[in-house]
Parts: sequence; structure tokens; C-alpha cells
Amino acid sequence: MIVRRATLAGALALTRAEMADMLQYRVVLFLYSLWEVVHPIVYLAVWGAIAGEGAVGGLRLSDFAAYYLTFMLVSHLTAAIEIYTFGPMIQQGELSPHLLRPMNPVWVAAARNISYKSVSLLLLIPIWIGLIFILRPSFSISAGSVALFLAALVLAALLSFLVGTTFALLAFWTTRSFSFWEIWIGLTFLLGGQVAPVELLPGFVQNLATALPMRYTLGFPIEVLLNRLDAGELALGFALQFVWLIAAALIARQVWRAGIRQYSAVGA
Amino acid sequence: MPPDVSVRNLVKHYVVPERAGGLRASFRSVLRRKHRLVRAVDGISFEVDRGEVVGFLGPNGAGKTTALKVMSGLLHPTDGQVDVLGFTPWDRRAEYLTRITLIMGQRQQLFWDLPAVDSFLVNKAVFGIDDAVYKRTVDLLTSLLDLGELLTKPVRQLSLGERMKVELAAGLLHGPRVLFLDEPTIGLDVTMQQRIREFLTTYNAETGATVLLTSHYMADVKALARRVIVIDKGKLLYDGALDGLVQRYAPHKTITVHLERPADLPNLDGQAEVLSIDGLRVTVRAGKDDAPEVTGRLLAQLPIADLSVEDPPLEEVIDQVFRGEQP
Repeated sequence: MIVRRATLAGALALTRAEMADMLQYRVVLFLYSLWEVVHPIVYLAVWGAIAGEGAVGGLRLSDFAAYYLTFMLVSHLTAAIEIYTFGPMIQQGELSPHLLRPMNPVWVAAARNISYKSVSLLLLIPIWIGLIFILRPSFSISAGSVALFLAALVLAALLSFLVGTTFALLAFWTTRSFSFWEIWIGLTFLLGGQVAPVELLPGFVQNLATALPMRYTLGFPIEVLLNRLDAGELALGFALQFVWLIAAALIARQVWRAGIRQYSAVGA
Repeated sequence: MPPDVSVRNLVKHYVVPERAGGLRASFRSVLRRKHRLVRAVDGISFEVDRGEVVGFLGPNGAGKTTALKVMSGLLHPTDGQVDVLGFTPWDRRAEYLTRITLIMGQRQQLFWDLPAVDSFLVNKAVFGIDDAVYKRTVDLLTSLLDLGELLTKPVRQLSLGERMKVELAAGLLHGPRVLFLDEPTIGLDVTMQQRIREFLTTYNAETGATVLLTSHYMADVKALARRVIVIDKGKLLYDGALDGLVQRYAPHKTITVHLERPADLPNLDGQAEVLSIDGLRVTVRAGKDDAPEVTGRLLAQLPIADLSVEDPPLEEVIDQVFRGEQP
């Protein structure tokens, strides 16, 4: 895919402006970020109570602490917010001015995504560091796992963005794109490594979670960082993450094209 | 030189869902949706040459905005051909979009919480405007529109008129050759409307840009466009000089006479209607065809100090056109 130089410069300028815009809403961002911290702690508390002094499926309390602390960062960095940012733009006709710029409006969604995450990360990090001292996780990480983690994280963020954008694009046809999005959220909760690490899921469900895309937007990078996967599982994981990413990109492109035709047919 | 804008048999139909009010109708529409075809634009053709300023006139829902949206590239037409600067607008190629602008009075592309200059910088990057050109353009627009400190105040703190000026500037940063303006003065006070008009006139004169605008305000059209295109119910009713529109559709003329001394008015045989008598000043209205004769009789039978024959105000003429009354 060829991207015009002006498009990249434009996306960069847009991100900078979005960031400045975002900084106007520090309190709201702080509250969102607080939620990102609170909900993993709920899962951690449940699993901690089950594990007690022992272990569940080989995971001890300190392992759960490591998992859900990593989860905090990963879920924040891979969160898809397009249903809240891009969808309403389509619904309220705000897309029109962007369509008349020599840059695909999806870049607007991307700029908003990146600026939201980078600004709120600044608020999240201090809390996160504080929690390390309280929860005493056992991070069994290595230089290799950190490098692979970063790769998996970037792919997860991209995949999540494309999925979020595709759901947001449903706003071209329906005013209820949120309901479809809820299904995805529900599946991610169960199969993405949210309510439980995927390795703790019962056999059949675990296979399902491995095959479906949700894990590759959330659980997979955590498992990579914490060295929970052997070489074969790693290779399969990356392969599937990549395949889903390509599939999501193709689907997003088709939906965008159909959507824009629809938009342009009914009245922009 | 080929025309900047060429529109042939443009048709744009929408299908819109339709239902009666009330809960029962709501339930019924769940099972069976009714649709209605709206012929927003129904076969219009025209051309606009380089540097021309053309005003689109028409009542609400006439299809003006739809036509503008098709020409700028936002909408795919149902049928017909449109060529703007050699491009098919709805392909929305970057080379095309950098040469045009669509400014809608009610839409805004500026970051609400940031000073406008931040939005300008985004446009500068997106349109790939180089530093020198950007600086020159901003300076020019600042002086023409009197932007001054407006650019460094958060957009949300600007008044409607100030915001419109900034919005206009944002839409012109990339130096477009064709301007599509949809209601550029809507909701503004008279002074601000005047400013925007003066600006557009100067901009057109200085850059030679082609301007197509729609407006509810006749004053906009009168001040800006020598040529008007009148659309109603998607059809083209008139395309030509503003004066010609009055010639063709004005049903009557207003004759005002100043008398030297009081005198009885002659019998006008129902050819003219006396509108007012104010001391020595008498105003009568006569059908267009009768006007010469009425004028002659007034001149012959009254001690006249001064006489003028005028066309009715443009608003009245347009109203006449839309009501479908023939001259």
C-alpha cells in the first residue's frame, strides 16, 4: 500500500492536534484510566481467592498478579475506541468535511486512538507502578520475551483498531452499531483472556479461544511476555495473529468501500 | 479553455423511509417499511467558466445543496455526468480535492477546544502546503477577513460570525481553484454577512477562483453573482444573468412620481394600482406590459417634477418564480 507523504505528515499533525485536544479532558481521561485499573483488579481478586495459598492450573497468586498487571497495560494499549469516536462521526454527518480532504478519514480515527492512549498512559503509569509494590507479582520475563511481547502488542493494537473501526463503520447502515459491538466485547471477555487466562479455559473452549481473533487483541501478548507459551504455541500464535490481522484489514477495507458508497448514495 | 465545471443531465434520487406518526405506525413499519423516492436533483445541466461567480437559488429542499455535494465529490449521482477541472468529483482523487473546497455554513471542521491555528496546521500538513505558501496565504486571509487574534483563541470561544470567518479561511488555505459555498452567511448578522460578501468578491477578483454558492439571502446573490441558476424541485428553472431573471419573471413595475403641485390622479382603467400617496409623492404598480402606457398617461396628465420606473425587489421576483406564476 502506498501512502502519500502528505498523508503521513497529515496523520502526524492530526495526532498532535488530537493530543492537545485530549489534554483538555484530563479528568474524564483519568476516570477512564481508573476503570482500566479497577476491572483487572476485580478478576485478580476472584482468582486470588480461588488460588488461596496454592495454585490453579499451575498459576499462583503472584502469577495472577503478574498476568492482570500486564493485562492493565495491554488492554489499555489495545483498546478499540472507534465505536465511540469514529461511529458517531459517521452518524452525525461529521465525516463530510474529512471526506473532502486528500486523506482517508480512517486516519482521523487512528490519530484519535493513538492520542487517547498516549495521553492516558501518562496517567496510568504512576498508578501501575504503585500497584506493583502492593500486589507483588512474579514476573518471569526475559529480554527475548519482552521483544516478542512488543511485536505481539503492536499487532494486537492494529488488529483491535481494525476490528473496532469495522464495527464503527456499521454506523453507515444502522444507528445501533453498539449492539453488534457488545457481542464482540462479550466474546473478548470470555475468550480473549479477560475473565481468565486462556490457558485456564477448559479444553474445547481453549481451542476455540486459540482459533478465534479475540485472544490476539488481548491475551496473547500477555502470555508472550510472561513466558507462558512454548516455541510451538508461540509460532502458532503469531501466525494466527498475523492471519487475523490481514483478514481484518481486508474486511475493514471492503466495509469502508461499501459504507462510503452507501453514505454517498443516501445523502452524506 | 474548457469550463471549470460542466454538469450534464445530473440526477440524484434518494430513497427515504417513511411512516406516519404514532405507535401503531411504528409497529407496522417494523414489519413493512415504506419507502419514498425523493428526486432531489432531476436532470439539470449547466457549465461554469473559470473565474465565474454563480449563485444557486431555490427554496428549501430544491436540490441546491445536493447538487453542490455531487459537484464537490461527497455524493455519487444517480445519473448524469459531472466534470470539474477535468476530474470526476466522486472519485475524490487527492489531485482533485487539493483544487477545490466545500464550505458549509453549519458544518465545522475545526477542533472545538483548540485555537484555529492548530486546525490550520493540520490542513497545512494534510494538503501538503509548503511553509512559504502557507505563511503568505494565512497573512492574506488574516488581512482580508480581519482574523487578527481570532486564530489563537479556542474555537469554542468564538462567536458564530467569527467562527464562520475562520472556517472560511481554513477551507481556503490550500488555495482551491473552485469554491463550493453552501450558505456561507447563514445565521450571521448583517454586518458580518457584508464582510463575508466583500471578502468573497475580493478573493474572486484577486485569485480568479470559480465560485458556486447557494444562499437564502438574496443580498448575497445580488452582491456576489452576476449569474444565477434557479432550481426548484430538482429542476432547473432559470440560468442566466440576474437582471434577466427580473426581466423575465418580474410581473410588474413600480412607478413613482413626484408632483409639482397637488393634482387629481387620472383614471388608470385598472391598468395600475395606486400603492401610496404621500403628499406630492405617488407610487403606483403596473403590470409589466402596461407600464409604458401607464407611464405615458401619468406624464401627459399630471404636472410631474420627477418620475422613476423600477423593478420590484428581487425577493418578490424569486418568490414569483417559485410559486410557478408565469409573467
